[in-house]
Parts: sequence; C-alpha cells; structure tokens
Amino acid sequence: MPTLTPPPTKLPPSTHPYAEVIHRLEAGGSMLPDTEENLMQIIGIYKAYAVPMDFYWRDLLYIAERVFLNPLPFFKYFLPQDYLDLPNHYAGESADYRVWQKGEASAHPELLEFIQNGETKQGIPRLLHHLWHDRINMEFAEACMRAMLWHQGMGGQFNDYLESEEYLANADRAIKAYFKGNPLMLGLYKLFPQMFYEKVREASYYANLGLFWEVMAPVFFEMSDRYDAGEFKTVPDAMDFLVNGIFIAAGRPIYHHVYIEDECYEIIPKSKGFTWLYEAALPYVEAIFYRTSPFRGTKSYNAQAGQVPDEQKDFHYGILYADVSPVGTAGIPPTLLMQDMYHFLPDYLEDYYQQHCRGEEDKLIQIGVTFQRSMYNVTSAVIQALRTALLYPLDDPNPEHLLKNRQFFEQQLDRFLRPEARLPDIQSQDYR
Amino acid sequence: MPNIVEIAVSNDAFSTLVTAVKVAELVDALQSPGPFTVFAPTDDAFAKLPPGTIDTLVQNIPQLQRILKYHVVAGKYTTEQLRELEELTSLEGSPIPIRCQTEGFEVKNATVLQADIEATNGIIHVIDTVILMG
Amino acid sequence: MLTTLLLLPLLGVGAIALIPKPEHSRTIAAGFTVATFLWSLYLLLQSDLSGALQWQEYLPWVEPIGLSYNLGVDGLSLPLIVLNGFLTLIAIYTNGLKVERYRLYFSLLLLIMAGINGALMAQNLLLFVIFYELELVPFYLLINIWGGEKRGYAATKFLLYTACSGLLVIAGVLGIGFSGGTPTFDLAAIDLQNVGLIAQLILLTLLLLGFGIKTPLVPLHTWMPDTYIEASPATTILLGGVFAKLGTYGLIRFGLQVFPEAWQLVSPGLAIIGTISVIYGAMSAIAQRDIKRMVAYSSIGHMGYILVAAAAGTELSLLGAVAQMVSHGLVLALLFFLVGVIETKTGTRDLDVLNGLLNPVRGLPLTSSLLILAGMASAGIPGLIGFAAEFIVFQGSFSTFPIPTLLCIISSGLTAVYFVILINRTCFGKLDYQTAYYPTVSVSEQFTAIALTITIVVFGIQPNWLFRWIEPTTNVMAMMSSEFKVQSSKLEIETLEAPKLMTLDFEAKQTLNG
Repeated sequence: MPTLTPPPTKLPPSTHPYAEVIHRLEAGGSMLPDTEENLMQIIGIYKAYAVPMDFYWRDLLYIAERVFLNPLPFFKYFLPQDYLDLPNHYAGESADYRVWQKGEASAHPELLEFIQNGETKQGIPRLLHHLWHDRINMEFAEACMRAMLWHQGMGGQFNDYLESEEYLANADRAIKAYFKGNPLMLGLYKLFPQMFYEKVREASYYANLGLFWEVMAPVFFEMSDRYDAGEFKTVPDAMDFLVNGIFIAAGRPIYHHVYIEDECYEIIPKSKGFTWLYEAALPYVEAIFYRTSPFRGTKSYNAQAGQVPDEQKDFHYGILYADVSPVGTAGIPPTLLMQDMYHFLPDYLEDYYQQHCRGEEDKLIQIGVTFQRSMYNVTSAVIQALRTALLYPLDDPNPEHLLKNRQFFEQQLDRFLRPEARLPDIQSQDYR
Repeated sequence: MPNIVEIAVSNDAFSTLVTAVKVAELVDALQSPGPFTVFAPTDDAFAKLPPGTIDTLVQNIPQLQRILKYHVVAGKYTTEQLRELEELTSLEGSPIPIRCQTEGFEVKNATVLQADIEATNGIIHVIDTVILMG
Repeated sequence: MLTTLLLLPLLGVGAIALIPKPEHSRTIAAGFTVATFLWSLYLLLQSDLSGALQWQEYLPWVEPIGLSYNLGVDGLSLPLIVLNGFLTLIAIYTNGLKVERYRLYFSLLLLIMAGINGALMAQNLLLFVIFYELELVPFYLLINIWGGEKRGYAATKFLLYTACSGLLVIAGVLGIGFSGGTPTFDLAAIDLQNVGLIAQLILLTLLLLGFGIKTPLVPLHTWMPDTYIEASPATTILLGGVFAKLGTYGLIRFGLQVFPEAWQLVSPGLAIIGTISVIYGAMSAIAQRDIKRMVAYSSIGHMGYILVAAAAGTELSLLGAVAQMVSHGLVLALLFFLVGVIETKTGTRDLDVLNGLLNPVRGLPLTSSLLILAGMASAGIPGLIGFAAEFIVFQGSFSTFPIPTLLCIISSGLTAVYFVILINRTCFGKLDYQTAYYPTVSVSEQFTAIALTITIVVFGIQPNWLFRWIEPTTNVMAMMSSEFKVQSSKLEIETLEAPKLMTLDFEAKQTLNG
C-alpha cells in the first residue's frame, strides 16, 4: 500500500476498511492507484479492447437488426461490408459528437486486417479461419448480452418496456413480417408465441449492448491516442476522460430497429426516450462488472452449500471479482476476450508482458489482470460520474454534502468487502 | 399573472432552460392549465454539467424531454406544503427526494435559490443544479 | 568387458578434474554416463540368456586374505546395472538445486555410479563389501553439502545407520569366508554344506540385519525418511532408485543364494517383516503432509514387496522381486524427480499449501500430469510397469505365503489411497492466484521426466522386454533353492513334519519346466 493520503476535506478520516481508497476517491482519484505502470497498462489494454469492441458493436447491431430471428444463424459472425462501414456516431466526419478525433467512422484498420488474414496470416479461406477460431470471438459479446438479459431489474426502464403490450405489439409485427411466407415458423409462432417474444427480447439486448459499445470503442481509441501524444499523465486523467465520455453519451438514445426487406420495424422506437446512461451503461456495469454468472468449466459450485448466492443481485462473478488464473480453459468468455485483445496489444504492453511472470506463456492471464485493473478504473469513472450527477462536487464547502459523498463512496466500496473482490490486489503492482 | 413559460422567458437566468424546453417541444405542455410544480435550473446549473452533455441531449428530443420532465411534478407544491413531504414523483416517473426543513431547501442534490415563484398554472422553484434520475 | 563399467565413470571423474571450465562438468559427466549406460545396454543385448554368470573377470589381488578382483554379471545384476546408468543420467540432469562446486558434484555422481556397478558385479564377497562401503562417502558428501536445511543431521544419521549396515555385512561376510574349509571369499567357491544350521542362521541374521537397514525394512527404516527429505532430488533419486536396491540385491545374492537351507527357515519371518513394511509404509504415507516424505514412505512399502517375493523364492516371485527392483527404481526416480521440480518451482512440499498445479497457464501442467501417471504406476495401475512387477510378485508369492500376499495386495490398495490424496491436493483444485507466480519448468527438466515416463509406459505395455533378461537367472535360482527344499525334506522326512506341499510344488514345477 502506498503511504496514506490525508483526507482532502474537513471530514475526519474514514473508518471504512478501504479508507485509503475512499480518501483517494474523495480527492478525485480512481480506485486504481495512480502509478505510471498502471496508467501504461490500462491505456494499452483499452486500445487492445477497443479493436475487438469495434467488431462487437457492429456485429451485435447486425444480429439485432438483420439476423434477428434467423433460426439457423450460421453466418451471424460474418459481417457484411455495410456493417463494417457503418459510421460510428462518435468518430469520423459525420459523427454526432466527435469523441475520437483522429479516427474514421468505419471499422478500425487493424480490425479489417485481422478479419482478412487472421492470426495465421496464411491466406486460407475465411470460413476455415472462422472454424479454427482464428477470428474475433463474438461469443464473448453474446455472453455479456446474455448476462444483461438474464439479470434484469438493474435500473432504467428498458426491462419493464420489454414486458409491455406496446412492445409485444411491435414484436408481433416484426415476427410476422420476418417469417412472411414461412408457414412452419408462423405455425410455431402461433403455438409458442412466448418463445418468439423472448427471442425478440434477446435481440433487443443485442441492440442495447451494441449501442453501448458503439460509444466505448471510440472513447478507448481516443484515450490511447491521447496517451501516445503525452496528454495523459496520471490515472485520474484517464478516469476523468471516461467520466466526460459518460456524460457526453449519457443522453444518446437506446433503441431497437429491425430491417426486414429494407423496411424498418421499430421494436423499441427512439421516441421511448431510453438513454445510454440509464438503460445501457448502468445495467451493463452492474451485469458485467459485478454480477454475471459462474463460467462453465472454471469451477464447481455447490448451490446447496450456499456457494451460489440466493439472490441474483448478490452474484459476484464479474471481472471485478474474477480469479483470472483459471483462464486458459478454452471457450469460457473471459478467455475469449483475452484472446481477442491478445491480437491487438500495443508494443509497449507486449514488451511489458514479456518481461514479467512467464512472458509469452501466461500472457493471457497477464492480460486478464491488466484488464481487471483497467475495469476498476472504468468502475471508478462510473462511481465518480454518478457522484457528479446525483451528489455534490468534491470541493463542496458544505460538510454535510461532503458527508453524503463519503457515504456514497463507502456504500459503493462495501460491494468489494467480499473476499473475492480484487480491489486489495490491484493496489499492489505485484498482482499480475 | 404570467404562466410558467412566460416567467421563464422573461428571466435572463433561464435562457438555457427556455431553449431546451423549446427544442424539446414542451412549450405547449407547460402552458397548459396544469397545475405544475417546476424545479427550474438556472443557466449556471446547466453550465455545471460536463461538456457535451447538453449537445447530445439537444440532438435527441425524446431523451431531452425525459430529463426535463424529471424537473416537473404534477400539482402545485409550495414550500410550506413540501415541508410535510420527503419525496415527489416527477412526470418522468422517477422520485425526487426533497429536504425542506426550516433552514435550507434542497431538491435532491440541488439547492433551491429562490422558492415559491407563483404562476397562473403552477409554481416555480429555482435550483442551482440540474437534477438527474437515479 | 565388465571393467569398462567401472573404468568409464572413473575416467569421467579424471576428465572433470582436468577440464579448464568447471561449467562443462555436467556435459562431461553426462557423456561418460551415456557411454557407460550404452555399454551396459550392449552387454545386456549380448548376454546369452543362460541365466549363468557371464563375462567373468578374475585377477588375484590380496591373496592372503582371499580378496580377488572377481567380476561377473547375470540376469539379477545386469538389469540393475542398466538401471543404474539410466538413473545416474537422470540425476545428472536433475537440478533441483543451483549446483555449486560443479567438479565435486558431478565427480561424486560418477563415483556413485562406479561404486554401485562394482557392488553389483562383484563376485568376491570382500570386493562387494569394499564397493558397498565406498558408496557411503560420496552419498554422505552429497547429502551434507547439497542437502536441505537439516542436511547435517540427516547426513550423520545416514552415515551412522549405513555404516552399521556395512559392519554387520562385513561381520557376516567374514563369517562366511572363514566358516568353510579353506578361507575363501569368491562367491563360486563358497560351500556351506558342512556348516551347521545354527551357524548358518547366525551368519544369515547378520546379513539380514545389514541389508535390512539398507533396504530399509521396518523397523530398521528410521534413517530413511529424514535422509530422503533432506537430500537433493538428484541424490534422492540415486538413494532410492539404486542405492537401496543394493540391500535387496544383497539379500537375494548373498542370503538366498548362499544360505538356501537357512533361508527356508527364516523365509516365513521375512515374509511377515516384508508384509509389515508394506502395510507400515502405506499407512505412514497416508498420514504425511509433506509430499516428499509421502513418497519416501511409499518406498518402504514397495521395498516390502521385494522382500516378500524373495522370501517366497519361487520362479515367478523371484522374477517379480527383480522386476520390482527395476520398476520401483524407475517409478521412485520419477516421483522424486517430479516432487523435486514441484518443490523448486513452488517453494513448498506442504500438501495443505499446494493446490491446482494442473492449471494450464500458471500451474505446472506437464509436471502434474506426469505426477498423476507416476502415482498410477506406483499404485500398480495396469498398463504401467508397477502393475507388471507387482502382479508377478503377488502371483509368485501366493502359493507359498498366501496370507502375507493377500495383505500385500490389500495394502497396494492403500497405495492408491495416498496417491489419490497426493494428486488430489497438489494437482487438482484451484490454483491460489496470490501465490502462483511459479517459474516455468525448463525443457531439460521436462525432457528428463518424459524419458522416465516413456520407460515406465513401454515396460508396462511390454513387460517381457524387461522380464526376458531376468527370467533365466531367477529360474536357475529358484531351481537351486527348491532342490534344496526337496533335499532337506527328504533328509528330514522322518524327524520333521515333511512339508509335503513343497515337494508337490517342486514336482509340479518340474513338469511345467518339462
């Protein structure tokens, strides 16, 4: 642990077990200690994350909008050119708000190169690449989508809307249009309408997550560019940029449009007023960073012995709690993501991994731990953003307001009191 | 006596709010008989939001409407009446916590700068911070 | 022919002493070991499978005291000599510790190989004793210089016990030499026909105690766990893999072969001691929290099988005894090697601390996989060498000692118990992410383990490749010993209750042998 920073306010020191971290948050810092090594790691990993994310959001939208209810979606991971060219709303000339200054609105060049050649770079057909898993692992993105679908009830109005009459009516129109001239599927729809609605809800979450990540990809690219240009000096610089990003995107609409024979069916219209912050970002953080669900193949749990919480809200299998070392088992979502990021590491991070632990051999785990650090920083940004939106400035002269802030921080950090939480570990540079 | 919109338009401190209400096409609604209680953020309050926040909202009317509706409550609540209450339900649907004791009048994380501005179709409380759901 | 097996390692020692750069000692030592090993393999392939001694060499040395340079090998010693070369090579590439003082370290390893080869080849009792005693010096140094924390204590304990063993053996050997008509120590010339049974029993008891300490047998084993724990992995491999085999080799060569009559009398007792060793070893191993200690106790158990088989003295059981010596040497070497790797990488041998080593990225996946295989081999899972040897031991001994054999079979089940405990704790479970920053296992370490594993698997699938070298000799030995059974039973048929079964057994075997 670094030396204790004195609390920056008039309040007495916190008595919370994570008092150190709370004082840092009160001083406008991040849960991740401010060291050059941490900054280098998290920025490097943001860049490596942004490239596959550029694919995730495009493909998520493609599946939500075009593949939709295809019962045999063999080629849902093969993005057509127009989705690779789909202009990002936060990058390029046509952007609504240009977060990523240098980037184009279409897919990132490293991504395009990877889709073309894969890791093998042998010029073998794309189908073989795909089957060899030499590709972006969309399964990870789908696992995230499923976690959001499954957990539900994490704030916002999105989930309630999925149960409303209006939504079902919209879904019904789309289902009928999609299976027009397909008596088999229409018959099945007649027999099992709920199953079809559930699939449409799933598609809506595809859209939700796609729209969420459409924002994050350019944010991360821009952070990497700024770091390379020497604009970020500290971890809080990086966090503040994220906080700003959250506010910029907060009001962007979350919707679900389906295109059937070039006609647009608005299953969740923009006019519902669903916003990026309330209906996508906050549920995402809750579902992915904190909760998710135990990954098959990593550990056995005995539910009867209370090893799995009774309440879904108490689930703690997200990246903030994850034990990264079982990673390496093929097919589990975290490994898939590590594998995706593995292809796009910046040189400085590549060198860094070679110098530590087992170098190339356990790079995936090192990536995982770095990713954990970086997501603690993102979570810090969310906590600071919520504090900005719902509470008081850090330099508020009113001690009562400062106390409210502190209570909020303590409440947030209470979630990391579980023994599984990695917050104590990331305080040290030795956790790799 | 002027209505809520007229009061806002006549006051220079509300120029951002007025623009937003116009963009969000809520002018007619706020001119209707109501009555409403409006928590009106000043220009300074909007300026406190991180850069870019308003830009995105202005481009997306339904989302802007939602934020603005969070500042409006059906019914007319004076300071006196609010002393009895802990919470109001906004037109947006989310609750607004109120702390209105003898000293100080706070709406969520905003402080009321000027309370009880009467209008024909309701009442306005001027606040120093844009309040957000959650 | 045979002197080469002594000369090559000694030349190696000379070469190590002369080379300018001590860092090259390992390569030199390995080179000479490989040469010795290949030569022993060549001898094995050239042997005539008659079961008799071959390539005898005889040089009178100190004639007045009956010491001669008399070498010879048969199916009992030759497989052990090959094993010795192989395990020495393994030991040379086992660097469970950062080797300092290269020259001394590798010279000692070569000296040990030469000494053990000498003891296995000696056909003169005094010559055997010389080699047998000479071994102690390099082992003492290896334990005392490159051992663990309590190496001083362990080395002294080792020296005291094994020196006692040596003294008892010397006493026995001198007794044998002087009890015949003319004093002689050449094995072939020894004839105890005219020595009284009581005198034979006394001499045999001396040898049994002496070799029993070395093997070690319960209750003479107390030096062994401490020594095995404190010695470096390389030393332990040589100690457990070949050095301890001199004990059982001595029992068969100088007990069973020299005292066939007295052996018949003590064999039921030996079988019981063997069985007790087996059960005691397994039970103690179950109770251990230290994986190396666990393997050490397992060794006591497995040496017990050899004693039971040697006591039974049937064709099959003797074959089993020798096969078990080889098998145990290989399996124990692999186990100690892997335990050594685990200790160097993780810094602990504590069962309660180790966990999840099978983790593919941060654990020691190959090492722990091989540990599982070695545990299976040790527990006698079919398809691995341990099964082949143990099965033959059981089958061969059952007719003579049914109850001890059954008890041994049951406790081979206990072997599985402690290996399941060992494997379950160390290999399975969740790797502790807070401590699991282990260095990688180097290619040479993996290569060594894989070489041992391949040997274990190949002989497990095709045990005849091992048995065919041993069988002729053990058949001859069993024949001689059972002839004695017949003779003694015929002689004493009136006075003693004739063990009729034995005669029948013999007749049956004669028929079988055609």
